[in-house]
This record gives sequence, C-alpha cells and structure tokens, in this order.
Amino acid sequence: MFTLIWETVRISFQGILENKSRALLTMLGIVIGVLAVTLMGTLISGLDRSFERSMSFLGKDVLFIGKYEWFSNQDWWEMRNRPDMQLDYGEKLKAASDVVLNTSTVMARRVDVARGDNSLLGVQLRGTTPEYMQTSFINIDQGRFITGGEDRSGSRVAVIGADVAQGLFQNRNPLGERMKISGVTFRVIGVVEKQGKFLGLFSMDNQIIIPLGTYTRIFSRRGYIQINVKFAGDPGEAKEEVRGVMRRIRGLRPQDKDNFAINQQEAFETQYKAIKLAIGGTGVFITVLSLVVGGIGIMNIMFVSVKERTREIGVRKAIGATRPLILGQFLLEAIFICLLAGLAGLGLAYGGSRLIDQYVFPSTMPVWLGVLSVFLAVFVGVISGIAPSFKAARLDPIEALRYE
Amino acid sequence: MKSDALISLLGIEKTYEVGTELVHALAGVDLTIRENEYISVMGPSGSGKSTLMNIIGCLDSPSAGTYEFGGEMVHEMDDNQLASIRNRKIGFVFQTFNLLPKLTALRNVELPLIYANVPREDRLEKAKQALTKVGLGDRITHKPNELSGGQRQRVAIARALVTDPSIILADEPTGNLDSKSGVEIMKILDGLHDQGNTIILVTHEADVAKHARRIIRLLDGRIEHDDRKRTV
Ligand SMILES: Nc1ncnc2c1ncn2[C@@H]1O[C@H](COP(=O)(O)OP(=O)(O)O)[C@@H](O)[C@H]1O
Ligand SMILES: [Mg+2]
Repeated sequence: MFTLIWETVRISFQGILENKSRALLTMLGIVIGVLAVTLMGTLISGLDRSFERSMSFLGKDVLFIGKYEWFSNQDWWEMRNRPDMQLDYGEKLKAASDVVLNTSTVMARRVDVARGDNSLLGVQLRGTTPEYMQTSFINIDQGRFITGGEDRSGSRVAVIGADVAQGLFQNRNPLGERMKISGVTFRVIGVVEKQGKFLGLFSMDNQIIIPLGTYTRIFSRRGYIQINVKFAGDPGEAKEEVRGVMRRIRGLRPQDKDNFAINQQEAFETQYKAIKLAIGGTGVFITVLSLVVGGIGIMNIMFVSVKERTREIGVRKAIGATRPLILGQFLLEAIFICLLAGLAGLGLAYGGSRLIDQYVFPSTMPVWLGVLSVFLAVFVGVISGIAPSFKAARLDPIEALRYE
Repeated sequence: MKSDALISLLGIEKTYEVGTELVHALAGVDLTIRENEYISVMGPSGSGKSTLMNIIGCLDSPSAGTYEFGGEMVHEMDDNQLASIRNRKIGFVFQTFNLLPKLTALRNVELPLIYANVPREDRLEKAKQALTKVGLGDRITHKPNELSGGQRQRVAIARALVTDPSIILADEPTGNLDSKSGVEIMKILDGLHDQGNTIILVTHEADVAKHARRIIRLLDGRIEHDDRKRTV
C-alpha cells in the first residue's frame, strides 16, 4: 500500500513539473494570500512590541489630568474654552485625598535647540518636578534626573531624550555639555534611555526635560499644563475620587459638566486596539480575497488539466488505476501546487519580516501563523481540487481513451 | 469443456441509447475462450468488434448476459474490482498505442506494476525484461516521440505483458503502422502465443487475421462465423 501512495505522490508531482509555468501562474494568488497573512502577523507583533515599549512610561496607576481628552469625539472648541489648569492643582489634589499617592506637574511646548552648528527644530520641551520620576516610567540611561533644589532655584539644567542626544552630540558623551534651548544656554545632566517610536505618535526620545521652576521663569506660567496623579487602589474608584476633588477645586455645581479631562493609559490601548483591528482586518481581507481568487484559479487549471489529460486518465484506468487512485492523483496535484505556493509565500514572508525587523521596527513572524497559513494553503488545495479530481475519477475509460 | 475455459460469455448484449434510438452494438454473443488460444475478430466497421473487446477487457459492462473470467463473475463486479482484474489479468494493446508521452519507455511499461503495488526494484526489473522481450532493451530511456510507430507499439506490448496477464487484447494493433512494422508486431504476437499466452486480435486485414488459429466474424453485433478448424 505504501508503494502505491508514494507512487501516487510522485505521479502528482510529475504532473506539476510537466506544466511548470502554468502552475506558477496560478500559485500567485496563494503566495499573496500567505504573504499577506504572515506579514500582517509580523507587523502586529512589531506594533505590539513597540507599543509596549513606548507606552510603558505611561504607568497603569497614573491619571493624567488636563484640559483635553486624549481620544474623544467631544467638541474640540468646547474643550478649548475650558479654564486652564493651574500649577497648584497637584498640591491641592494630594492634600485632598488619600488615594492620591503623588503628583507631578508638567508644562510643555515645542522649541528649537542648538549646539554649535547642530540644531533640532520642534523638540518637545517639558518642565516638571522631581516627582515626575514617580508618576512616569522612564529610565535614566546616563547621568541623573532633576532635583528639588534645581526646581526651586530655576537651574538651567536639562535631561534629554536619546534622539536629541544623538542629534546634538552624535557619539560624544553629552553629560556636562552645553546646549541652547530657544537661545538660552542649558547644561545636560542626564540622558533618558531610548524608547522607540510608536507609529510616530509619541516618543520620549525627542524630548527635553527641564525643572518646572526654570520653565516658568524662562517661558510662561500659563499654557499647557498637565497634572500626573499616581493613585492607590482600584483605578475606577480612584478616577471617581479624583474627579470629585477636581470638581470641588473648580467649584462646579452638581448640574455642571466636567470642565477638565482625566486621561489614562487605557485610552491609548483602546486606540491601539482599533488600529490593530484595522491592520488585522485588512490583512485578513487581502488573505481571504487572494486565497479565494487563487483557489478558483487552481480549480480552473485543474479542470483544464483533467481535460487535457483525458486520454492519460483513460490509459491509467485501462491498465488498472482505480477511481480512488485517480482522485488521489489529481487531488494531490492541487494540494502540491498550493503547498508549494504556501511555502514560497512563507519564504518570501520570512524575508519580508526580516526586513521589517531591520528597517521598520523590531518584530518577529509568529511561528503559529506561519504554520497556520501553510495549512490554509493546503486547505485551499483540497477545496479547489475536489471537483476536478472527482471529474477525473468518474471519467468513463472507453470515452477517455477515444478523446482527441 | 467448461472447466478449462478461461473466458465464457453467455448472451452478452450491449445496447446504447442514441437520442430515442436504441443501438444494439452487441445483440447476444456466446463465446468461450480457452487458455493459449489465438483468436482474430473480424467484421465490418460498426459490427461490434471494439465493443466486444472492451467487454472482454472489463473496460465496459454488458447490458445483459453473463461473463465469467477464470471462475470470477465479471458482470457482477463493481468498479474497483473491474480495475483490479484489468490490472492483473488483462493486457491491452491499442491501435493508437496510448503511451503517456511525457514518460520514458521504461516508465510507461512500469505503470501497470505501480497499480499492482509491486515494489520499485521488482518493477524496474520486470519492465526492463518486458522491453527486452519486444526487442527494445536498448531504448528504455527513450520517450514515445523519440521512437518510431512500430517501436511505440512494441512498448505498448511490453506494457501489456509486464503484469503477466491471462489474456492480451489487441484492437487493430497494426492499424496505424506501415506494413513492415505491422509484420514485426505480428511476429512478436506470434512469439507470445508460442510462449503460452492467450491472445485476441481485432483486425480487418485478412493477412493479419491469418496469424490466428481461430477467426471469429461479427456482423451487426452477432457472431456470424466461428472458424476454429484451422490447426497448424
Ligand atoms: N458510446 C457509444 N454510444 C453510442 N453508440 C455506440 C457507442 N459505442 C459504439 N456504438 C455503436 O455500436 C456499434 C458497434 O461499435 P464498435 O464496437 O465500435 O464497432 P467496430 O469496432 O466493429 O467498428 C456501432 O454502431 C457504434 O456506432
Ligand atoms: Mg473498432
């Protein structure tokens, strides 16, 4: 029996080799299908990783209070017309509630920075307090963070992101070096560990942190202010509690709507999931489409093949091939075409995923997805091969032998 | 007499429906064939020669009648059993050779053994022997389009022989050949008969038919003459 199975496999394989170019053409759909699903998987794995990395500085136990909701369909003008946040809210919140463990206040604006001939435009400048280290999750790679003393005295010291360090100092050690922020000279005291970008949305790498006291003295006490609140206990309850305190600070009556926003890392996650769903959906759509098109193509080519080889089928039957064997021969042929196409797609996808890994962001092709996609290709082979194979198996040997 | 019959056909009919007409390709054929017989089937075109061969060769089933082959009731068999009996007991030689064009002579001859589930080594050995027997021992790697008509038909004979069948059926084996090649083919068939094979041959050439020891004439789906008096 083994001989028979093996020989059927061999015969099927020969069938493909005899029609190489045609088989190659119909393989294309399957190749694209497998490529789409595996590359989509690679992309999502990479996104997951960079999302994790770039969002990690937004702690899960931190609320971000400001004027604007991060992601919302609320009227932007309504949010814009809200009263500005005040610099003393942090202290007030901490005093008013036990749930609030710590707060830091952040002001921010875009600035141009320079050192010698090197300059960077549109860098995000943040003024904040030493408590920032408790409410945000960043690691200092070299040097140190700002101190309370520097904050109170308004020292011109800066902690810079990895991209800023690279842009201004290239490979030199930036610690102790001087740089100009909007024309004012600062001394670099620390460098933040590289974090990577997430879809270009958000990156700590292109930021500069200076003491809040310095920021208010050089720039302004007004403008964009955000209070980061590290809380204890259940996030939902903490949010409600903080909301209550904020309403009291703002002196809102019960019927008034909130005129501030309390944001959480969750907001990013929700947004990210939507992006992921869109990418995944697109990938699945392309995959299904190309597999269906490919499958129809293969069914077609198999019907043509059966017709062209009618005489061969007649001969095989005359010398003793049974229906199941003829069926197996053609079904295996369809499966082989799809399997080869699947493996080719997988090979290309592997190459592609290596390129993405190197040039876009760190990512890996999920092994399970590779295996699944090859199974999918085989499945397409079975489905598209069944009808032509049955047709071949059921041919009447006498008529088949007479076929011109 | 019946005990040593290899094949016995009784009241075999084959009817085709063409539109509303019924065509009686075979209209009641009784025929007994013993081992090592050498039979020619003759008759005008449309008299049912090919239909009879196809039924004897288990490629086709009769509409009525009984067919016994080596003690087995063929008319009761299903498709797989028929395929098996074609594979083990019957060797076909066709007018148009019917070799697989992409395969070498050796691979063509090997085919029936694949379906007989013979291991590869044995298969190639037997296929080589069969090709040597028909005088093509030095052409085993040639493809059909690299062989002459006569050589192709010899490959086909080797393929028919290779399973050591009970009977060889040849439907106008010289019909597509020049006379010289035809003579060669007939020599080979004669030789096979001398070695103990049973052969049925369809032909409309009297010269070819003369090689056989028994000549059956068909007319309108019936046996008109069964002339077995000739002995050597
Ligand atoms: N598949 C078929 N359908 C309809 N009629 C057929 C078919 N096969 C054979 N016949 C008819 O049966 C008769 C015998 O055919 P055949 O056995 O091929 O004759 P021969 O080989 O003696 O020329 C012819 O009249 C032919 O037209
Ligand atoms: Mg005929």
